[in-house]
Formats: sequence, structure tokens, C-alpha cells
Amino acid sequence: MRRILLAGAAVLATATAGTAEVKLGSLGGVTGPIAEIVALLMEGRELAARHVNEQGGLFADGQQLTLVVGDSACDPKAAVDAATKLVNVDQVVAIVGPNCSGATLAAAQSVTIPAGVVILSESATSPAITALDDKDLVFRAAPSDAYQGIALANYILGQGVKTVALTNANDDYNAGLAAEFAKAFEAAGGKIAAHQVHEPNKANYRAEVATLGGAKADALVVFAYYGSSGIAIIRNALETGAYSKFFGADGMVNDELVNQLGVDALKDAAFTTPGADDSTGAFKAYMELAKDLKQPLGPYVPNAYDATFLLALAIEKAGSADRSKIAAALREVATPPGEVILPGEWAKAKALIAEGKDINYEGATGSLDFDAAGDVPGTYTLNTVTPDGKFAAKLLK
Amino acid sequence: MWEFVNFYLIPGLVLGCIYALGALGITLTFGILRFANFAHGEVMMLGTYLALTMVWLFGLHPLLAALPAMALTALLMLGLDRAFFRPFRSAPTIISVIASFGLMLMIRSAVQVIWGTQPRPILPGVQRPQAWLDGAILLAPKHVWILLATLAIMAAIHLLLTRTRIGKAMRAVADSPELARLTGIPVETVIRATWVVAAATAVAAGVMLAIDTQVETMMGFKMLLPMFAAAILGGIGRPFGAVAGGLVIGVAEELSAYPWLGTAPLLNPAYKSGIAFAIMVAMLVWRPSGLFRGRVL
Repeated sequence: MRRILLAGAAVLATATAGTAEVKLGSLGGVTGPIAEIVALLMEGRELAARHVNEQGGLFADGQQLTLVVGDSACDPKAAVDAATKLVNVDQVVAIVGPNCSGATLAAAQSVTIPAGVVILSESATSPAITALDDKDLVFRAAPSDAYQGIALANYILGQGVKTVALTNANDDYNAGLAAEFAKAFEAAGGKIAAHQVHEPNKANYRAEVATLGGAKADALVVFAYYGSSGIAIIRNALETGAYSKFFGADGMVNDELVNQLGVDALKDAAFTTPGADDSTGAFKAYMELAKDLKQPLGPYVPNAYDATFLLALAIEKAGSADRSKIAAALREVATPPGEVILPGEWAKAKALIAEGKDINYEGATGSLDFDAAGDVPGTYTLNTVTPDGKFAAKLLK
Repeated sequence: MWEFVNFYLIPGLVLGCIYALGALGITLTFGILRFANFAHGEVMMLGTYLALTMVWLFGLHPLLAALPAMALTALLMLGLDRAFFRPFRSAPTIISVIASFGLMLMIRSAVQVIWGTQPRPILPGVQRPQAWLDGAILLAPKHVWILLATLAIMAAIHLLLTRTRIGKAMRAVADSPELARLTGIPVETVIRATWVVAAATAVAAGVMLAIDTQVETMMGFKMLLPMFAAAILGGIGRPFGAVAGGLVIGVAEELSAYPWLGTAPLLNPAYKSGIAFAIMVAMLVWRPSGLFRGRVL
């Protein structure tokens, strides 16, 4: 067995020695709590690399783009170890990933920012990453939860609801979202009449609901996971007659909500989730290319494709595998002005870059126009309950 | 004034009833078998899943489905006692405690394998409260059921313990197992009767909690601390102490969030889980025998 492995390694070594390659780090939670999700989005990354290699590879001499996988295990410590190996041992040009917000913050602060390596995560959504002092080296291809707060605040105000009561579960994700929502809602002229943090997993929330109900707002905004407190709070609010209009975010969107509370109770409820605009040419192009993947629209799979393709474009634009040039090149290829490049259009992009023309990648998940912090604007869908008890998603413009 | 009754006192009483029924089983097993049964919450959860299955299979009302579920769980409990607790009867009690801890994990995992981890409703939909006394008191029908069913079960337990032979034997064993054995009381029979009562009341508590909230695999574990606190508050081995303890803790948890001073809640509701802990620790420090002079731990 060992001999076969050695022989295999030798064959691989000679094969890769034949054609020059450019190494791109592919850091992700291959093991750990979201391993199933990561397995799917790794396919998205590989698909993008394949498109690059099939259409002429990188640079004038057609070098191959190789993804070097590192396991960040959705864990800050594992992410630091894996990122260190990619940066120091494999000498990658840039890194796509990691996946979890905690892992991303740790890898960025301890390894990649000091080393001057660009990382582009397709799935870390914590608002804390925006505030990172990153020397313009940390990018994301998934919208920060801060944008979800703004999207929801604008939608609620657009419905004519000016005063809301707000409650959030006491955890990082829901607390971050609630803080961003409150900021956006008040900045846009709305009023938070009451804000109550609650502890998940309690038998009932009648005291919390009574406090919130005393504020006499027009609607209740709930940031929670449906199973641990979201359903219970809405149930208690309905039972006590405190509120009948509810808003929330992706942690609440699950069929169990309708199953437990019934359609009638939720006819005035609406929840935002990140989504993709399925009417764009870029989205259609991606769907055509990705139809062989297990789940082309699985969580953050299109984002994984976009992130990898963008980094490849940035390396091509930089003209060499030079780490220090990637960040500036990434901004140039992702943002206007420039000729629009859709998913899969590697040969076209390569030709334009060779002519010295500007390009602007439009991804399956949106325009991917990075702001000053390296974040992309979000596209969100609004989920409401239809009379037959299903969630219907509508794009928020 | 009525807001206090409707939003704080009544929910506190409903929660207290559920704690009381759960604490009853804990205090009985503690009094008679002399160990803290950590698996009590999971027995409650298992029985609730059995009741949920009855609701699915036969379309029964949850309160009716609770009856066969109580019987099934009591039978299961006798089997579990035979397998997990009887071998340790004469061993130091810490061994039984650890066995109950292992049993707790095993029951929970088995339920997760069989029924899955998704929370489920036992009574789908939302019950709007109905007005009583010209609209002053708002009370949902399910809360009336819970209060009445708890009263009925308490009355039944009271009759069992004071009027029946086995009930009197249970009290005798709780007071002094050695003396009871010497006077010819069949201790093993008493132990089996204790398990049956503990399992049945636990399932009743679980089904009522599920009617008020939902069925999920962590529900028993989350109830364990307040139930133990209620048993300690009432005095270990004192069934009516457990009932009083459950009601006190349920009401105290809810009332702690009432705006007693000004308009803000006295204690942020996010911290109300701490109330049961605080009461339990305070009782153990100042009055370890509990309100009703139970056994000192």
C-alpha cells in the first residue's frame, strides 16, 4: 500500500513539474460542525478552478490554477494552523475562505494580515469582520449581516410601520443582527419602542412579551433561531394579544414555524434571508455551468464559485503570482468601470486583460462590487407565508 | 393590576404546576430510593414523545393521549429500574446517581435517533385567551386544563399516599427503610410503586409543558434544575413540599420580571433562569431541610 502511494506521489510530482502552476489556498471547514455545507461549496470552488484551467489557464504561458486545501474546521485555532501552513509552506498567492466568521477573524488577524496575503471568504457574515483593521487584505463574497439589518429596516419602514419592539436571542449572530437593525431602523426615522434581550431555551417568554407589549409598538421584530426561542416568543405574543405583526431574519425561516403556529397566525409576518437575484444574466450563466453540481444553489455554493473565479481574475490581472499585487487587482476586476464578465467567461476576460482593458466581474450572487471594507452589498429575499402553509420568497430590491 | 395577574401571576402558576408535578417524582424517588435521579427529566421527555405518537396515530387530544403514555412510560421505567438501578441497590448511592446520569444520556440519544431533533407541536396553532370576569382576567383554555389537571393529579396522589396500603407503605419506607423492612413492608414492591408514580407524574408534567410550548429532545433536561430546586425547597421526601416548592419557584421566576419599581422589569427576564438556582442555594445554606422539614441532603 505504502509503495503504491509513494509511486502515485512520484507520478503526481512529475506531472505537476511538467506544467507550471499557481497555488491558490482553499481554506474551509472541511471537518467540524458545518462539514456538510462545506463539502458542497468546495465543489463550487473546484468548478471555478476547472473553468479557468479549461480556458487557457493563467498568464500568457497557460499556467494551471491549483487549489491547495486547508481544513479550518470552523474553529479559530484550526483556522490559524491551516492558514499558517498555506501561507508559509505551500506559499499560496491568496486564499479563498475560511467559512465561519470566528475562523475567518482568527486566520486574518494572526496569519494572513501580517503575511500580506489576501483572503476572500464566501460565507463569513459577521459584522465584526467589516471593522477589522485589515490593510485591505480581507474580502468577502457574502454580504455582512449589517446589510441584512438595513434591508429589513427599510422593508419595515416601507410597510408604513414606524414603531417596533425588538427582541433578540442572547448569542453572537442574533445580537449582532439586532444591533445593526436597530442602528439602521433609527437612522431611517423609525423608533425602537422597546428592546429586550432574551435567553434561548426557556419554557415561556410571557414576561418578556409583557415588557415588549407594554411599549405598544406596531410590530415585533424577533431575531432568534426558530427552535430555541423564536416560535415560543411569537406564540406567547399572539396568545397574550401583545402583537400580531412580526418581522425577523433567516434564523426564523423554517417550515416548523408554520407547522406549530398555523397559517392564520403568520399572515402578517415577514422574514429576510440572503438570496440571489435570479433574473440577472450572471445568475443564468452560473446555473447553466453549475448544473452538474450536487446543489448549485446550496448554502454559499454560488458565492464559493464567485470568490474563486474572482481571485483567479485578480491573479491574471496582477500579471504574476505576486501576493502584494492581489488586493489592488481584486478591486479592479470586481468593480466598474470595465467590460462585464459573467461566470465562466474566463477566455474572454483573459483576452481583455491581455489587451490592457478594464473588466468588471458580475457574479451569480450579485455585482460583487467591494466597498472600502472589502464587503459586498447583499441581495435579500423576503419570505412570507402563503395560504397553503409554505414560505414564498420574493426578491427585495 | 390585571396586567400583573394576566401576564405574570397566571403564567407563573401554570409554570409552577408543571414544576410541581415534575418535582413530585424527584422528591419521591429521592425519599424512597435515596438518590438524585438525573434521568427524571428524560423520562418526562420520553413519555411526552410517546404521547405525541399517540396524538399522531389516533388523533387523540393531548391530555387523553397522556394516559396511555403514562402507562407505557411506567412500564418502561420498571424495566429500566430492573436493568440500571436494582443492581446498585446496596451499593453507595453515588453509583446510582452516576447510573442515572448515564441513563439520562442514553434515553435522550435514543429519542433523538427515533423521533429526530426537530421540535414538534403537540397542540398546533395558537390559542387566544378568553376573557373571564368581564374581561379582567385573560386565560387561555389550555391553561385552564393545565391548572385543573394538576389539581386532579395532586388530589389523586394525596389519596394514594394517605388512604391506600401501598401509599402508607411508601411513606413508611421514606421515613425509615430499615424499620419498614423489619415491620414486614415489602420494600421492592414499594420501590416499584414509587417508580410508577414518578414516571406517571413526570409524563403528566411533560405533556402539559408540551401543550404550553412544544415537544423537543432537550425539554426534560431544561426542566431538571427547576424541578430539583422545587424538591429541595419543599423538603426532600415531602410530596406536598415539592408541590409548594414548584409553585413558589414558578411564580418567583415570572414575578421577578414584573416592574415593581418604576416601569423597567425588576430583573431583566434574560436572567430569570437564575431564580431557581438562587432559591436552591439559599435554601441549602439557611434551611437545608426545606420548607416542610424534609431530609437533610
